[in-house]
Amino acid sequence: MINKKTKRTFSFVMSATLALSLAACGNANNKEDAEATKAPASTNDTAAATKAPSEEKVTITFQNIYPDPAAPSTQMLKALVEEYTAAHPNVTIELDTLNTDQQKVKLKTQAASKEVPDITIVNPAAQMKPFVDAGLFAPLNDMLDQNGLKDTYQEGLLDYYSFDNNVYALPDGNNIEVVYYNKELFKQAGIEKTPTTFDEMLADVKILKEKGITPLAIGEKDSWTGSFLFMNILLRTNGGPGFLQDVMDGKKTFEDPAFIEAVDAFQQLVQAGAFPDGATSIDATAGGNIFKTGKAAMWVIGSWETGAVDASSVGGKVGAFQFPTVNGKGNPNEFMLAPGSGFAISANSEHLDATKEFLNFFTLNLPKKQFELKNAVGLGQKVDGDLKAAGYSDLAIEVAELFNNVKGGDLAFDNTMNPATAQVHLSSIQNLFVQKVDAAQVAKEHQTAFEANK
Amino acid sequence: MMKVLKVPARTIAVFVLPCLLLYVCLVFVPIVVSIYTGLLKWDGLTPSNFIGLGNFKDMFFNDPIFWPSVRRTLLYAVASMLEIPLCLLMAILLNRYLRKANTLVSIYFTPVILSVVIIGQLWKTIYNPASMGGMLNGVLTSLGLESWTHNWLTEPNIAMFALYFVSLWQYFGYHLLIQFTGVQNIPDELYEAAKIDGADGFKADRYITLPLIVPIFKISIVLAFIGSLQAFDLVMVMTGGGPAHATDVISTHMYNSSFLSFKYGYGSAIATFLVAVCLVFTGFINFFFNKLEKKYN
Repeated sequence: MINKKTKRTFSFVMSATLALSLAACGNANNKEDAEATKAPASTNDTAAATKAPSEEKVTITFQNIYPDPAAPSTQMLKALVEEYTAAHPNVTIELDTLNTDQQKVKLKTQAASKEVPDITIVNPAAQMKPFVDAGLFAPLNDMLDQNGLKDTYQEGLLDYYSFDNNVYALPDGNNIEVVYYNKELFKQAGIEKTPTTFDEMLADVKILKEKGITPLAIGEKDSWTGSFLFMNILLRTNGGPGFLQDVMDGKKTFEDPAFIEAVDAFQQLVQAGAFPDGATSIDATAGGNIFKTGKAAMWVIGSWETGAVDASSVGGKVGAFQFPTVNGKGNPNEFMLAPGSGFAISANSEHLDATKEFLNFFTLNLPKKQFELKNAVGLGQKVDGDLKAAGYSDLAIEVAELFNNVKGGDLAFDNTMNPATAQVHLSSIQNLFVQKVDAAQVAKEHQTAFEANK
Repeated sequence: MMKVLKVPARTIAVFVLPCLLLYVCLVFVPIVVSIYTGLLKWDGLTPSNFIGLGNFKDMFFNDPIFWPSVRRTLLYAVASMLEIPLCLLMAILLNRYLRKANTLVSIYFTPVILSVVIIGQLWKTIYNPASMGGMLNGVLTSLGLESWTHNWLTEPNIAMFALYFVSLWQYFGYHLLIQFTGVQNIPDELYEAAKIDGADGFKADRYITLPLIVPIFKISIVLAFIGSLQAFDLVMVMTGGGPAHATDVISTHMYNSSFLSFKYGYGSAIATFLVAVCLVFTGFINFFFNKLEKKYN
């Protein structure tokens, strides 16, 4: 028999459990209630903020893709945020710092539940279109007109971020894809001049490989890197820009000879052993470090890396050249264009005006700060000052000269095509790194995906 | 005694309710919602279209990635389940021949405590090509087995097995602990009685340990099975499903479809499939073990 005391204890424990679990439920509900009431209240807050902006406490979440503390962009971000918060003690800026691929996924997850951070980063054109279509971003036209911000941007740059005459994001730069090369390693391998044709490049790759030097650095676990390189080849074999646009307009298909030729050329690079062993398990940052630590001779990447290359251990030994012509086709002065990543503001931001005010300050001062930090190559905004006089490296000046030669080009695949087709493309290119595939098969795979996801 | 514990149904309902509510909110509702979104053509952002079973049709007949990823997942599940008998054997041996096996069991358990991200990074470095200082290839080369070296994570035919191995390695200690506890809980008197009757060593295991361990064994099997169906983190950290989908499992394929290809509806359809597979197989495992338990009792 269980005695009375045990019985009482038993029931006490049970009811305590019940009470606790109810309390847990209650908490959850309270929180929801609090959030529910917060939403309408905050609209009042913003109204108040326009009247007395310096008094209300404001927290702005700033999602960004500058994780590397050694990179000048990160220092620029931190410095500008500090400057702004010092002048506006009521504003707190919370940095949500991620690397590029993580940020893309996080933003998509947040967007699905309509919880976009106050400021976030998006890629131009096709990649930001779904967000704009879903009405997640606030138009920035009014804010661009303040303090003459609009006039600081290079002509046409904002077009990549505009839909229906509204600008939805402000680019952090305007870059081209170049081939960085390590002069010391080239010398060590006895290569005297940089390649101007694809065949020369292949020959150099073989020489470097023989000397035990990784010819081309890449981090193909993040599959955009391989695609970005591949698109250079396509830009050449197509004899100029616009291949993807032609496919979308129905004027060409992926089974076009230009595309097949590009796949074949790319496979030649892979077969020649141009890339590091196990490239598909190396992430983009680690891939870049292969070059920045002097273990690889070349790196095909956007000019945004100029500052970081200069700041790395190979700084001073690096030059840059245009991607060579392929089979005599293409113009070396046509580049893969990367019109930056853009800062966008959430349409549902609790402090829309305060956020706009901060972003206005931030983007106005960004070029100046980048210039000071020796990171002015690939800026999307006009900046006063002479690179040479400001003590910029030879590499920076060389890249800046390449900019002067730009005669148009293409955007990256995933900035042009819809996300579903882009994913098929990315893994299809990744596959070329690990096995030899019939180029016609690759082309067919692209075409099938394109038609299925039109 | 029975009288005291006999509680009116209403009281039971009151006590069960909080947990039931939580369960329904956190598990049941999301499942139903994702079954519904599986019927939509939806990018997760803009308004959706109802397309009935279109996603499922695509999934079963048109998606070249789907079936291979199902095959990999099931193979993974089978491998994890095959590991359990090995754990049981180890547990029996540990229990019989070591007086204080607890320390050893704790050591085997260590990888389970580590976060999967750490395990993934650790093994990624071990698997690296020799040119990047990979330990495994380094050891093979120094043993003169150069022909055995591989790019473990980037050769499409090998990468998946390299992942299986890491996962089996990590969870070995987990299942060992479960089995070990189970074996320890079998009363010594039974073995002593068996010894008098002439059953010793493996004969005693056959007639005493195995029948009594069946419920514990079942727990491990179900945990291993469900765990491997949901395998995601390790794959994401080590290969991200690559090269070119060669290591995609159901859950990573679902994730890529929903978040990278912007096909939420399609991703939900895959999720629905995953739930269905989990339910069917868990039911099957339960049915099988119930038979087994009946047979022994």
